[in-house]
Amino acid sequence: MKNYVMGVDFGSTTTKTVILDLKGKMVAACVASKGSISAEGVQVSMDGALAEAGISRKEILRAVSTGYGRRMIDIADQSYTEITCHARGAVALFPQARLVIDIGGQDSKVIAVGGDGLVSQFAMNDRCAAGTGKFLEALARAVQVPLEEMGPMALAATEKLTISNMCATFAETEVISLLAEGQSKPSVLGAVHAAIASRTVGLVARVGMREPAVMTGGVAKNKAAVQFIEQALGAKLLLPPDPQIAGALGAALFALDEVTTPGAGVDEEDQADDTMLIARGCATKPCQKPKEVPLVGPMR
Amino acid sequence: MSIDAIYSAFERAAEQPLESAKAWKQTHGTRVVGSFPMHFPGELAHAAGCLPVILQENHEPITVGHGMIYPFYCGFTRSVVDQACKGDYDFLDAIMFGDHCVQVLGAADVVRAKLPNTRVHFYQLISSMSDPWSLGRARETFLNLKEGLEEMIGHPIDEEATHASIRLFNKNRQLLRKLYDLRRAGDARITAKQMQILVKSSMVMDKAAHNDLLGRLLAEIEKTKAISQRGMRVYLSGHFCQSPKIGVLDMIEECGGIVVDDDLYHGQRYISTDVDETGDPLDALAKWYLERNLKVPCPTRVDQNADWENYLLDAMERSRADGMIVLMAKFCEPHMYYYPEIKEAFEKRGVPHLLIETEHELNSFEGLRTRVETFLEVVKRQSAARRIAA
Repeated sequence: MKNYVMGVDFGSTTTKTVILDLKGKMVAACVASKGSISAEGVQVSMDGALAEAGISRKEILRAVSTGYGRRMIDIADQSYTEITCHARGAVALFPQARLVIDIGGQDSKVIAVGGDGLVSQFAMNDRCAAGTGKFLEALARAVQVPLEEMGPMALAATEKLTISNMCATFAETEVISLLAEGQSKPSVLGAVHAAIASRTVGLVARVGMREPAVMTGGVAKNKAAVQFIEQALGAKLLLPPDPQIAGALGAALFALDEVTTPGAGVDEEDQADDTMLIARGCATKPCQKPKEVPLVGPMR
Repeated sequence: MSIDAIYSAFERAAEQPLESAKAWKQTHGTRVVGSFPMHFPGELAHAAGCLPVILQENHEPITVGHGMIYPFYCGFTRSVVDQACKGDYDFLDAIMFGDHCVQVLGAADVVRAKLPNTRVHFYQLISSMSDPWSLGRARETFLNLKEGLEEMIGHPIDEEATHASIRLFNKNRQLLRKLYDLRRAGDARITAKQMQILVKSSMVMDKAAHNDLLGRLLAEIEKTKAISQRGMRVYLSGHFCQSPKIGVLDMIEECGGIVVDDDLYHGQRYISTDVDETGDPLDALAKWYLERNLKVPCPTRVDQNADWENYLLDAMERSRADGMIVLMAKFCEPHMYYYPEIKEAFEKRGVPHLLIETEHELNSFEGLRTRVETFLEVVKRQSAARRIAA
């Protein structure tokens, strides 16, 4: 029996998979990291989620992909961008959300969501990976601090320092200069996180601040990043239990819509298309509270 | 000739404009006059027995040009300077440019300095279009341009030859507009890339040869039944001097958009207005210069009767477009100044649009694809919601 749907978010640094049953309950979620745009990462993530759910691939009724590598996933019946899927996932988790801030490995996006649950506007970093997970990774190397320790260390900052360059390479030079001046690592890392917050505020300004705002993506797991962004925005952010899987959850919810809505999957028919799209756009069917599932593969 | 063969002929000229002009010069022995976009009346150069060629941004990385022009100039001006520095324009007999923005003026100064043996003619175009003296000043400029051309060829330009050139250029614009009409109505599937190469090749090819090919293309298209296309109808706006990159146009259509209309310079803007075929040709060209700004408003010109944002809203309605993608060349000041008004008007009317800033050095193509695809997903949902509500 095919009683499940799957959402796969093939991101630039990690792959996230969410499996839902046909009632919208999350039965498994898995994050895998195997390097940039890694087919192996996709496999590990999907296999991990299937194992967690205790089902085989044959039991997946429909799959939707998203993320940078969304067109590379053979088993996907449909694909949507990560902007659409993160919005859908975030609104499903927090139906009152009007703004989604998604900071992933390579991209950062700010998405305005209307009262009807539709994406109304969005802004995305379009020049470089400044202010994203890649930026943090590069600067973690410069400061020689493991990535997962960056956030806690930044929260211990005693000096308020500034990194003015948003280019990761130039920012690295600035970080080295600050360290050479004898500044402490926590204070330098505080400046790194403040730089990310500045970049985020710039993106939010392009869309317009709305509340409540949800933060999704891997960087939302970094407490210092969240705190600095909250300070810069002057607003509290809503955080999903696992912000990294919001895109995969959104993709899975689209797959579920296509299964449960009459005419789903018949894209050639305009009318069926319309019905399906409205169902997709609305936040009328938030999924159950995400189940805590063990993660396969290292977290980012 | 098959449709594909006809498009290939257009594409060769559009993609290799200088090589194409050079080959024409060798074969026909005519002078080649390069001009800057966007307001040069090619009819005068044609009547002078020359091949008018509108200089194009090329695909080459900008190298030696970096030493001559600031990096905060637009891609078109930087590319033109780079081509001049590399000797690409050495075969041109003259270059004519007008003053429609500060960056073009800067680029023209470098071109003049780099080509001391080439006739580089500057013509001062009036930018206020609705003053009592606008028509007279425009005529004066075109007279000045005509005299410059006459000095180069060594004899006066015959009035009847000018009329003949005007007729030929009008015919070209009419044929291209017919293709636009067919596409808008859904009677011909012409991709954004194909439309660009049709218009761009018109800017660099001999008009009679171009008309001949257009006639063949129309005949072939009329024989073919158009296949209905599914997708979101997209209106493209922006990009003045330079043509949008083909990769960007293809990507928009790969993402599910169907480009149905535009106001691009390498599109409707270039072909919007015909020149009066009777009376004094200079009067007619001056009138054309003022009128075309009303047909498709240009943010480099000032006209109290022109309103670009409302023009765009109306044009979208005419072409039944679901959304508009604005292509803005980075550092294009006239466009940057005007865009907030378009944004405000579109938001007020609830018409979806996406701004894409383009550069000579295109980066993060995948990121761009994500933005376009998301925009089309949003447009699709909004269109569906509107249809169901209706």
